[in-house]
Formats: sequence, structure tokens, C-alpha cells
Amino acid sequence: MTAAAGARRTPGAERAARTPGALWPYLLIAPTVLGTAYLLLYPLVRNLVISFQTYGMGELIRGGAPFAGLANYREILDDTVFWEVVRRTFWWTAVNVVLIMVLATLVALMLQHLGRRTRLLVMSGLVLAWASPVIATTTVFQWLFSSRLGVVNWLLVRLGFESYENYSWFANGSSTFVILVLLVVWQSVPFAAITLHAALLTVPAELYESARLDGAGAARIFRSVTLPMLRPLFALVLCLEVIWVFRCFAQIWAISKGGPGDATTTLPVYAYRVAQSLHRYDLGAAVSTLTVLLLVAVLVVHLRQMFRQEGEL
Amino acid sequence: MKIRFIAGAAALAATLAVSACGSSSDSAEGPERLTVWIMKDSVTEDFLTRFSEDFERRHKDIDLDVQIQEWDGIGEKVTAALASTDAPDVIEVGNTQVAQYAASGGVKDLTDRTEDLSGADWLPGLAEPGKIDGKQYGIPWYAANRVVLYHKDHFARAGITSPPATQDDWLADTAKLDKGRIQGIYLPGQNWYTLAGFIWDQGGDLAVRSGDTWKGALDTPQALAGMDFYRRLQALGKGPKDSDEAKPPQAEVFAKGDVAQIISVPGGAKIIEEANPALKGKIGFFPVPGRTAGEPGAVFTGGSDLIVPEASAHQDAAYQVIKALAGDTWQTDMAKTMSYVPNRTSLAGAVRGSEGTAAMAAGAARGRATPNSPQWAAVEATNPIKQYMTAALTGTDPAKAAKEASDSITKTLGS
Amino acid sequence: MNRTSASPVTHARIRRLPLHAAALLVFVLSVFPVYWMVLTAFKPTQDIQSQTPLFLPTSVTLDHFTKAVQADGFWLFWRNSLAVTASCVLLALIVALGAAFAVARLRWKGRRGFILMVFIAQVAPWEALLIPMYVIARDTDMLDKLSMLTLIYFMITLPFTIVTLRGFLTAIPVELEEAAQVDGCTRAAAFRRITLPLLAPGLLATSLFGFITAWNEFAFANMLIIKNQDDRTLPVWLSSFSNVFGTDWGATMAASTLFALPVLVLFLVLQGRVASGMTSGAVKG
Repeated sequence: MTAAAGARRTPGAERAARTPGALWPYLLIAPTVLGTAYLLLYPLVRNLVISFQTYGMGELIRGGAPFAGLANYREILDDTVFWEVVRRTFWWTAVNVVLIMVLATLVALMLQHLGRRTRLLVMSGLVLAWASPVIATTTVFQWLFSSRLGVVNWLLVRLGFESYENYSWFANGSSTFVILVLLVVWQSVPFAAITLHAALLTVPAELYESARLDGAGAARIFRSVTLPMLRPLFALVLCLEVIWVFRCFAQIWAISKGGPGDATTTLPVYAYRVAQSLHRYDLGAAVSTLTVLLLVAVLVVHLRQMFRQEGEL
Repeated sequence: MKIRFIAGAAALAATLAVSACGSSSDSAEGPERLTVWIMKDSVTEDFLTRFSEDFERRHKDIDLDVQIQEWDGIGEKVTAALASTDAPDVIEVGNTQVAQYAASGGVKDLTDRTEDLSGADWLPGLAEPGKIDGKQYGIPWYAANRVVLYHKDHFARAGITSPPATQDDWLADTAKLDKGRIQGIYLPGQNWYTLAGFIWDQGGDLAVRSGDTWKGALDTPQALAGMDFYRRLQALGKGPKDSDEAKPPQAEVFAKGDVAQIISVPGGAKIIEEANPALKGKIGFFPVPGRTAGEPGAVFTGGSDLIVPEASAHQDAAYQVIKALAGDTWQTDMAKTMSYVPNRTSLAGAVRGSEGTAAMAAGAARGRATPNSPQWAAVEATNPIKQYMTAALTGTDPAKAAKEASDSITKTLGS
Repeated sequence: MNRTSASPVTHARIRRLPLHAAALLVFVLSVFPVYWMVLTAFKPTQDIQSQTPLFLPTSVTLDHFTKAVQADGFWLFWRNSLAVTASCVLLALIVALGAAFAVARLRWKGRRGFILMVFIAQVAPWEALLIPMYVIARDTDMLDKLSMLTLIYFMITLPFTIVTLRGFLTAIPVELEEAAQVDGCTRAAAFRRITLPLLAPGLLATSLFGFITAWNEFAFANMLIIKNQDDRTLPVWLSSFSNVFGTDWGATMAASTLFALPVLVLFLVLQGRVASGMTSGAVKG
């Protein structure tokens, strides 16, 4: 039963359709539309305009920015650094999302097989990690990986990796990248795992039963029973994670500011650096616009699917 | 019914939002409230309190709100303030950064006040960067260069009777001090002003100009030699390789008592004594040693200017603050309290006789500035030099890292 | 006899051993950073600086908390954060409830277009809008005002709130409302008496999500509050705190703990409902 069909049958809806009450839906969505127009659409348009202007510190302060045509885009697209950043952003997104999805699926499957009490315990742990505010956990990770007195270095040395004595994790591009991946994966797995676990619960037990009676092994059951049932939700979580990881800014900025060098500079960080540190707001706006286009391109599948589901309702 | 519920809830939300920002409104009556931004550790808290009290006593109609700003992210912050409609009224800006603000059009032109402030004998290192096209936007406040601050007890215990005169002596003495709990020197890996001095000593520079273009020069043999000396010195203590002198504040590290030396402006001693009064009288000073005896090391001349934003609502009152801070009384006081070089050469007598200033004056003879390009502030904002230092100190091939950093500097200065 | 009956049980235990080991590992990995934060906050400084980390508290001190709380304006920023977060969540809930109702229960022209707009708004690149938002705030005299922050956070959380609430609404059979209307209730009264209570878990789940988002937000708070330092929010304060205290990890962790506390408490109290609410919202979304 769907909302639309239900609404069509209700006397209320019919009345609403006939009388001046037909204004109701528009009144109800008016605040949302106004808010979106003023606080999202308008800034996006301003951003787009800035990306076609010469807009530096002087223009920000005095106003009166002259138009520059496509010069900013040309400058960005001609810059090899930009393409490096784009490549890195995709690599960053891929590594994180794959790790998150694989680990989350494993944890969800594990939760399904646990006893009630153990499951509750593990779930509480996951919720704790999920609920911790980003800024707090980011600070904690800096402490865990701190070169002096950091517990990770201590553990590695104890395990026999003597070279990690006072090792400066944040001095090296790849190790900073690794820490950021660990942080983001740690923060994201709980949501994905709990959601997937809830989806697994909706799989009727009879399906497993009959599959087992047919003599299917664990792997086979996973492939032909669990996976198809999980797919829609899996797709949704995947898309959400892509969005979140691609856009991830606060963690990277707080830990490394995109450094050392450019080693952890992804598109959002790059846009921020260009705009705020170099005061090239025009270039920053152009990078943001390109980022939006890239993200939309990546997610067009997701949006289409969501919209198709909408059509079914 | 629902409408009433929604209206009620919206009203509640609105009340919350309004009451949340109620605290910020200036009251129209009563004294004018002036906001002054001072950088962290520029002056002591005690100095600020004394200044504020005296100033408010003389100007009954002005109420001073002094806010301490962090160096981290200050570029964004000052820009946002200059571009706003109700900016702070007086802002302290570093002498390497004042030029870009002056050029931005957001700073009030104070040329006609120069005479009133006896600007004829201002220190050129502070006055020049604050001046664009003959107009004076930044008012010189103070200058300082780095010296070595040392813990007299630790020196005595290690049997060092006179401060080192050459870089080689310095390394030898520091190694002697670096025993057990005691750090020979606390030198964080990213103290790039200090590195700049070592590079100048070797005859190198951060960037060189040929014609109209600038080129990063960290990969020259001279600059690499400077970095190598930095690395050897840095190893004689536990300074973090991936941080600078502000994070954590090195004065507070020294104040804990287990550090034999830090490289700091002489005023750092006051901050240390404020944090740990037990160290009063135990802090000595000597100029950063050079390569040969009798010639101290080259040092970066740092300092600050004061500006009044165009967007300040109280420009006349703001000027009164600047006039007081840059005037004889408080310049002399500050020079004595903080061991700074006053903003005018004629006031230099005020600090004669102080141990810290003597060391600083010896070094000042070899004072240098960062490359004189308006884009230099942009280099500092993303600072590839700091990243290069950390890389070189943690095992990356210095020549390779220096090349990368130089390319980055070249690019930023050229944009 | 005894042996034969015991052996399958033992066997099952052994077979389940890797599973329980994995469960333990997941638990430890997810809890440890939070545990370490709280533990460090309570440890005396000399224990924090011990070369071998102490994993259990030997003695407990409140010094770090005192230091954090006594730092300039802590309670003020706490209050600011709470006011901004609560108002934005409340505002988003009210506005989203209306929109979700219109989408889930009413039929009107432009409905599909509206839904598409909300979906797209959900992926909006907020960090990219820092400068335009600054310019807009300045031109409308909204700089240095917590109300501007509230509005922005409201807009950031709104699309997600609408989508999730709509999922919940669709899940509640419209017949229930109809029955009430047959009994003589107006439509609005039916909605308020029947649907709203059933919607409670959904409202809870979405408001928590909104709460976290707004509670955490740093970039706008840092950019839009310039001169009125008394109007700073906790994330901005926490970021400068780690600047000031640097390697004083005890105080930094105490500050982080205080910052995380409200969210953690809310979550742990409402854990079951939120997790289920979140998923049913997501499933329907």
C-alpha cells in the first residue's frame, strides 16, 4: 500500500483537491522551498558567478569584481596539480568506500550470528563510535598516533617494530593518508553495519530454511538469498557513503590541512586552500563548481534510482 | 489546530534563536566599545591589563575589549574581519603580512597622522611593508629578532661558563647539556624563521629574484647546508619534528624547567616567568651564534604593525588606541617589559642595559627579511617550508624534498 | 553417556570461537578510542606521560576537567552551541513535518519536482558555499549572529529530515487517520492524535541526526562569527583549545569528552529506538 494510492482514496484528500484547501500542500512546502532557495540555491548561484569573475581579497573587501569569462576554469584545468587532486579524490573515495562496505557487511553478518547479549554489547560499541562527534574523535586519533607517548607507537614497538619508536605519523604523506582512512572508516562502519544488519533481519527465516533444505552451503546462501534481499539497501548505503567520503573535509582539515605537501589534499580541501589561504576566491569557486559537477556525475545513477523508486509509490 | 501547534513551535524556535544572539548587541548608550585584536604571546597579560586600565582612565568614553588571536588561520580571520561591515577597530598584523592587507583596500589610510605619531624615524622594517604607493596604512608597533634563551642552572651544571660563539661550539655545548631528563635544546621541527637564519649564514636564501620572477631557493647547496645544521641541532632535544614553536607554545615547554635552551624573541622570557615564577632570574640570553666567532648568526627581523579597518565603526577612537600604543610612554614600557625594539630609533635608549636586548641588538646587526614579494604572505599561508623541514628531519632525502618545496614557492610567488 | 552429550556442545563452542573473537575485536576497536579519550581525561598527568601506557585507571583526577571548564568562556560557548543546535533541530522538525506530510499524504501538482529538489539538496556541497554564504550574510547584516548559523544548520539538516520523516509517515497506515475522522475528528486533529504519537521514533531519530550535524559544525561557525567572540560555538573553541594546550593531552581529552558528552548520553539512552528508526527511515527513503 502506498501513500499516493491511500491519499487518493481518503475523503480528506478529495476534499482538499476540490476546495481552496488545495493550497494546503503548497503552504506546507513553502518554508522548505523558501529555505532552499535562499540558503542553498542562491549561494550556489553566487558561487557560480564568483567563478566567472576576478575575485581576490580586494574584491571581497571592496566589491566590484570584474568578469573574467572562463579564465578561472582555464587556469584550473591547465593546472596539473588539479588533476592530481581529482585522481587522489577518487582514490580516497574508492579506498574508503570499499573498506567501509566490506567491513560493514562482515560486521552485519557477524551480528546476525551472535547471541542476544553479545550482539547487544557489540551494537552498543558501534553506536558509541558512531555517535562520537567528529571533532572529538579527530582529536583522539591525533593523540593515539602522537609521536611521543602515542599508544599506537607503543603497541607497534611492543610487537617488535622497533622503527616505530617516536615515529612521526603526520610527517609522511602516505602514513597521514593511512590514518585519515582509518579514522573515516572507523567513523563510518557503524552506521553502515547497523543499517545492513537491520536489513538482514527483514529477510524471512523461511528463505534460509528452505535454502538449507535444498542443500546450499553458507557461501551459496549468502550469494543467492542474502545478497539479493540486501541489494536495494546496500545500494543506498553505498551512495550515502560515497557522498560523505567524497565531501569529507573536517577530518582532513583538522588533522593535516591537506598536507604534508599535497598528500592528503582532496577536492574540498583543495578548494578551501585555494580560496582561504591564497585568497583566490575565484579559483576556489571554480574548483567547487567542478567538484559539484563531478559529484553529480558520480551520483546520477543514485538519483535516478531514487527517483524511479519514487515513481513506483 | 495544527497551525496553532506549528505557529507555537516556530515562535519557540524563533525565541531561542533570538535569545541566543541577544548577548551580542552593543548598547547604544554608555561608553564606546572598542575591539582590539592582539596576537597571542605578543605582549604579556600584565602589560595588556595595565595598558587597558590606563587607557580607559584617560578616555572615560571608551571601553576596551582586547581579544587575543591565535596565529593558526589568522589570514582567513583578518580577511573576514576586513571584509565585514562591523570590523574590530584595531588589529595587530605581522610585518610579513601587512602589505597584502594594505593593498586590499580594507585598511584605513593613516598618512595624515604620520606626523602626529612622529613617523619620521620609524623603523624601516616595519614602516615600509605598511606603506603602499606613498600611503601609510600600517603603523609600526614593535620589532624583535630571535636570540637564544638559556636556563642558567643547566648551563652551570654542565660546566659551561660562557655562551658559545660559533655554530660548532654551540653544537658541542648543546650535546653536553642534552643528558637524561634535560633537553639540550627544545627546537620544534618547523621553526622556519630559525632555519632562514641558518640558510642566510651559509650564503643562501629562501627565494631569489631574477628580473621580474621569483624562484624558490631551498634546493641550493647553501640552503641545504643550513638545513643540515638545523637537523644536527634539532636532534639534541625532544622538539616535535612535525610542529612549530607555537604548537605547543615553546615558552610553556621551557617553563616546565627541563629545557636548557630555546630560540625565541627575548620577550619570551617574560612569558616563561609568567607561567613559572620560579624561573625568574634564571634565564640568560645570547645571540644566535654564527659560523665564525665575533660574527653572530643572521636572524629574521620580525615585528608587528597596527591597522584600523575601513569597516571599523569607531575609527577616531581606534586612532586614539594606536596613538597610545605607538606613543612614547607605552613604547618605552613595552620595550622594557617585552625586550622589544621600539618602533622609533630615537626611543632605542629605553632598552639599553637589559641583558636580552643586548643579545638582540648584537643579532639585529645581521637582521634580514623574508623575500620582498607581495605574494610572500601566500607562501606563509600554506607554508611548504615547514613541510620540507619535517620531511628532511624524518628521513626523506633533503635534496628531493627541498626541490619540491622550492617549486611550490616558485609557483606561489609567480601567481 | 555424559561425554557423548557434552561433546557436541563443546564442539559448537569451539566452532563459534572465531565468531566470538571477531565480535570481541569489533567491540574493542570501536570502543577503544572513546575509552582512551575518557581515560586520558581522568588520568593524572604523570600517568599520561608514563612511557608504558596505563590501560586501567590507577588513580583518578578531575584536574583536567577543571582546567577545561575554567578556560575562558567554556560555559558560554556550551550554551551557544546548545541554543543554536536545539533551535535548528526544532525548526527543521517543524518545517520537515509539514513538507513530509504534503509529500506522503497529499496529492498535488509539482510533487515529483519537489521530491527531486529535496534529494538533490541532500547532496549539497556545503563546504563549497563558505564564501558565498559569507558574502550573503554580510550583505544582509547577518554576520556575527548566531541566528544566521541557526538558519544554515537548519538548511543543512532539513533535506535529510524530510526524507526520513516521509519514510516514517508512509509506514503509518492512513486508515488509522481515516478511522479517527469517521469518529468525528477533523483531519488535523486525527493527524495530531493518531499519527504524531506513532511518528515519535522517527522524530527522535531525525532530530538526533540533526543534533549531531549542528553540534559538530565548524567551518561556518569559524567563518561567520568574527568579532563577537562571546558568540563562538564549542567546535570553534575546541579547535583553538588544542592550539593552546598542544601536548597537554589530559586537558584536551577532557575538553573533547565534555564536547562529546551530550551526544553520547542522548544516543546511549535512546540507542534501540534510534537504530531502528534510522534504518526504517533509510529503507523507506
